[in-house]
Formats: sequence, C-alpha cells, structure tokens
Amino acid sequence: MQRAKIHMVVLAGGFLVGGMMFGTSKAEAGATGAMLANTCAGCHGTNGLSGGPAMPTIAGMPAEYLDTIMADFKSGDRPSTIMGRIAKGYDVKETALISKFFASKKWENAMSAPQSQNRTMIDAKKAKKGKKLAKKAKCGKCHEDDGMAQDEDTPRMAGQWVDYLIFKMQDLKNKHLDVPQPKKMAKRIKKLSASELEAIAHFYAAVK
Amino acid sequence: MSKLTRRNFVKLTSSVAAVGLTACAGGPSPSIAGNYKHRVVIIGGGYAGAVAAKYIRMADSSVKVTLIEQSKNYYSCPLSNWVVAGFRDISVQKWGYEGLKGHGVEVVHEKATMVDAVGKKVKTASGNTFKYDQLIVAPGVGFKNLEGYDSAAMEKMPHAWKAGPQTVTLAKQLQAMKNGDPFIMVAPPNPFRCPPGPYERASLVAHYLKKHKPKSKVLILDAKDKFSKFGLFTGGWKQLYGYGTANSMIEWVPGGEGGKVSRVDANSMTVYTEMEEFTSSCINIIPAQKANKIAEDAGLVDGKGWCPVNLKTFESKIHKDVYVIGDSSAAAGLPKSGYAANSEAKVCAAAVVAKLNHKGVPTPSYVNTCYSMLSPDYGISVAAVYKFDAAKPDKVQKVSGGLSPSQAPDFIRKQEALYNESWYQSIMADTFG
Repeated sequence: MQRAKIHMVVLAGGFLVGGMMFGTSKAEAGATGAMLANTCAGCHGTNGLSGGPAMPTIAGMPAEYLDTIMADFKSGDRPSTIMGRIAKGYDVKETALISKFFASKKWENAMSAPQSQNRTMIDAKKAKKGKKLAKKAKCGKCHEDDGMAQDEDTPRMAGQWVDYLIFKMQDLKNKHLDVPQPKKMAKRIKKLSASELEAIAHFYAAVK
Repeated sequence: MSKLTRRNFVKLTSSVAAVGLTACAGGPSPSIAGNYKHRVVIIGGGYAGAVAAKYIRMADSSVKVTLIEQSKNYYSCPLSNWVVAGFRDISVQKWGYEGLKGHGVEVVHEKATMVDAVGKKVKTASGNTFKYDQLIVAPGVGFKNLEGYDSAAMEKMPHAWKAGPQTVTLAKQLQAMKNGDPFIMVAPPNPFRCPPGPYERASLVAHYLKKHKPKSKVLILDAKDKFSKFGLFTGGWKQLYGYGTANSMIEWVPGGEGGKVSRVDANSMTVYTEMEEFTSSCINIIPAQKANKIAEDAGLVDGKGWCPVNLKTFESKIHKDVYVIGDSSAAAGLPKSGYAANSEAKVCAAAVVAKLNHKGVPTPSYVNTCYSMLSPDYGISVAAVYKFDAAKPDKVQKVSGGLSPSQAPDFIRKQEALYNESWYQSIMADTFG
C-alpha cells in the first residue's frame, strides 16, 4: 500500500533523529504527559482545542497520527514555521506522552471552541460546492465519513478550523514546501484550483 | 475558630469536603478555605496569574483558588502594538474573568496592598484579609524612576507598556502627529517585559507612517547596543522601510552611540540624552523595569530588583510558600514574555497542587513562542523548549528552538503573521476561557 509505506519510512527517519538528539534526563522521572502537553496550549488551546483559526485543534486525534506528525516536524520532512524548532526539543518518549495526552481529550468542532473570533465564517454556498468537488476528487476514499474518520495516517477534517484547512491545502500545492503526502492525493490536489480547494475546506469545516 | 491550626482545620473540613464547589462561592471567608481543603491566593490576573488559577482548579478542584486582581478587565500587551499602529481595535484586546469563575476560581476585584509572608495572609486596599496556604504573586513589572517621568508625564508621554488606556493614548498621539514630526521611542535597558516589543512597535509605527505621514520617521533612543531578534528586525527594516539609507523610516541610536536618555520634560515634550535633546509631539517612553511594587513591598525582591525563585517550582527563594511567576520573577533562561509567563504558571500550578497533596515536585517543562510583526503581513518568531537540569538549577536549559530564517519568501512571513493572530486567540482562550 502506497500510503502505509510512506508512513513507515517517515516514522523510521523520525525515530533515528530523535534517538540521536536527546536522551531522557538521568535519575529523575521525566515530565508527565500533562506537564509536557500543557506547554502546547498557548498555541493549540487548552487540551488541544484551538482558539485561533490558523492553528489546528488536535484534541482527540489518534496518538499514532500525532506521533508521525511530530516525527516529521522533527526530521524536517514536514515543513513548518515553528513546529520543527519545537519538536526537536522532545525525545520519542516525550512526544509519545504528548500524543497520548491529546488523543485522550475530546474533539470539539472549531466553531464551538471558546473565544473563537476574527475567523473566516463558514460559507454555506462554498461548502455545498466543496461537497461536490470533494466527491469528484475522491477525497472520501481516505477521508471517510465526510472527514469525520481518522486513523494513524489520516487526520480528522470535519469541524476543523476553516482557515487552517485552507492554509494546509494551499501548502499541499506549494512546490517550495514539498509537504509529504500520498502520491494519489498530490495528483488530485494539483488538479484543483485555489478557489476549489477553498470550497472543499469550507465543506469539511462545516461537517458536524 | 480563630485558634484552629491548619492541621486541625484540614481534619475537620475533610469530612465536609464533598460539599465543595457551590457552597462556598461567596466573598472573602474568615477561615482559610471554607469547605475546601486548601486555599491558594493569587495576586494578579494576567498571562501568568490567570493561567495559574485555572490550571490549579483543573488539576485539583478541592483547592480553593482566590484571584485578587484590581481591574475588572484585562488588556493584553501582546498585539497591542497593532492598536498603536491603527490596524486593530483596543476592544479585541480586552478580556474578563467570567471564564475563570466558570472554573470555580473566586475572583476578587480589589487592590492587594500587603503580603504578610509570616502570618500567611494578603490584605487589600478595601481592608479585607485573605489567608492562604500557598500564595502566588504575578503582578507584572514595575517601572524604575526616570527624571521628569512622573504620573502626569506618563499621560503626555505614554509608555503603553501596560496595555489599556495608555495604548489608546499613544495611538491617538500618533494619529494627531504632524507629517514630518518624528515618533520618538525611548527603549529600556535589559531586562524588561517583552524584549522584541519596542522593535515591533517601531516597525508597525513605521508601517503607519509610510502610509499616512511619509515625511515622518521613527527615532529609537536605546539604552542598549543590541536587541532581541536583531538580525531579523534590521533585515526586515531594510526590506520594508529603507533601513540604513538616508531615507530610512527608522533610525536606531544604540546606547553606545548616545542613545541613553537621562531625563525627560513633559511640558516641553523633550527627551535628553547625554549630548543632545530631542523634541516631538509624539514621544513614547518605555522606562527601565523592575519587579512590581507589591512584590517589592512583600520583600520578595533581591538586589537586582527582581524576585529570585526556585526554577523547578517558582517558589520564592526568600519566602516559603510564596511563588512568583511572570515578569516579576527572575526566571533565568526564560524571557519576560507572555508565553513564558503562561508556561511558568503551569509549572507553578503543578508544583503547588503536588505540595498541597504531599506529592513530590513534578519534573517541569517550559516553552516560549513569541511572534513579532514588521508589518501587518510580515511576521517573525522565536520559539524554544526548555528543561530543568538539577545539575544547573540556577538557569533553565534550552533544549531546542530558534528564530525564523533570515531569508524567507513573502508567503512564509505572511503565514507567521497569521499564526501570530491565532497564537493570540489560543493563548487568550487558555488564559481566560
């Protein structure tokens, strides 16, 4: 399977880098998952429920998926502005604790997150158009149940911040960034225009 | 009741602890914690104090938390430079304490005036006394004296280094300023709140001037010879504001080249360096800083003017059972930033809860993430992860981090600008939500 293969390669790379960079501290017990994960809340919100439209909510995402993402940030396989700098501060044990912490929290749709202001409002027309486009582009082959489904390779999209989804879809198309993505998905994304991708983002963000 | 020792008191109340939450919402209670097992009092409800209050309650709802904060509303310093430059309304900088009350925090809008670290109580200006088991002091910074800069001068030459009315005053002065007048900023010596803040402000004011008052420029009179994110700022200034050329919108005078301001005169709107004097209708004085007065009065301050703390818990090195977090603490290794204050608050909250429950001191973890804007579409950042190393207890150790790249395409700068705004929404939700 194409997707599974990519995932495994990426993970192995991540572990290698992680193992080389930092060991856990000597005699003392390490920080707890809550202690480590609470430092993320300044950007990703309390318990991973983001209050800002450009930051993803990560509460309730599968731990395996979050592990992969952190490993990719750390290795540089996944481009980022600051996450790469931050991810390098944790060893694999610590990122696993962080992932577990957020995986144990309950997802809430972005629009019900506290203090969500200054955001792009979901446009019903765009969402309707996006639904058709997503069907045509076969997004649902992996992002099942209108983006509600999630597993170790696939993030939940339903109810995510629309602004975040727009940025990330634009990033997928950006040649400078070279975001890791399954080949089939890259092909499909390439065929979609910026406004079509925006419509798809509205569709997934609107799913409740 | 008054002769009750804390130990007896705990024994007595543990049988009624289940009554908990709602039974005890009212005003200051004469006993330590009413039906709760313990009481934590927190002075100051900003980026540090409000977070400590919330996270203690989230970790252990059997702890009564009383937050003493004078103001009914909090105005965030981060992003307030956008207000100064006229592209953000002050109303979206304003936050309230309803969210904290929802977490069961008792919020008392009074001015804390006295800490009795021996008797373990805090007094307020209205004459109320709050006893505590553990006290967290998070009052932000205080200003050092500058000749001529009294409270009347502050109105004419605003610092705008505590957001709120001062921010609005400075924004209005900038708008009223004549095309051709300089915007004079006096930048403070280290250490001070928000190290990149003055230079973000200079950038955004330059952005405003470029559009509205192209004959004007920003003149920074600095006490220092270098500043935070130096390369990124000066590089961006070259790109955006002609820095280094004769037509630069920003002129920076370092301390070593006559930038040190020794006194100001608000009547004539003049600032004096050793050699020169500068006059304008719009002058922003950011004074040298120290721990806030309440921390000084409580005897929590060392010879350098800040509060020495154990970096694993943020407990004061001077007074037992008193913790200092945020800008007043001397947290070596960590910057005086909003994000660091948030991180310190969580480490402190975990330490306080562990102590009250007779558990070992938890291993801390700290993060700082700080964005600055050079224009509304141009963001830069610094981020770091820190650990505590028992072998080097006097400074937290940076284990990773760094700055935005010195060269980056426009879309990356734009992305960081967008992340800055979202950072703000999330950290405010984490603080007050």
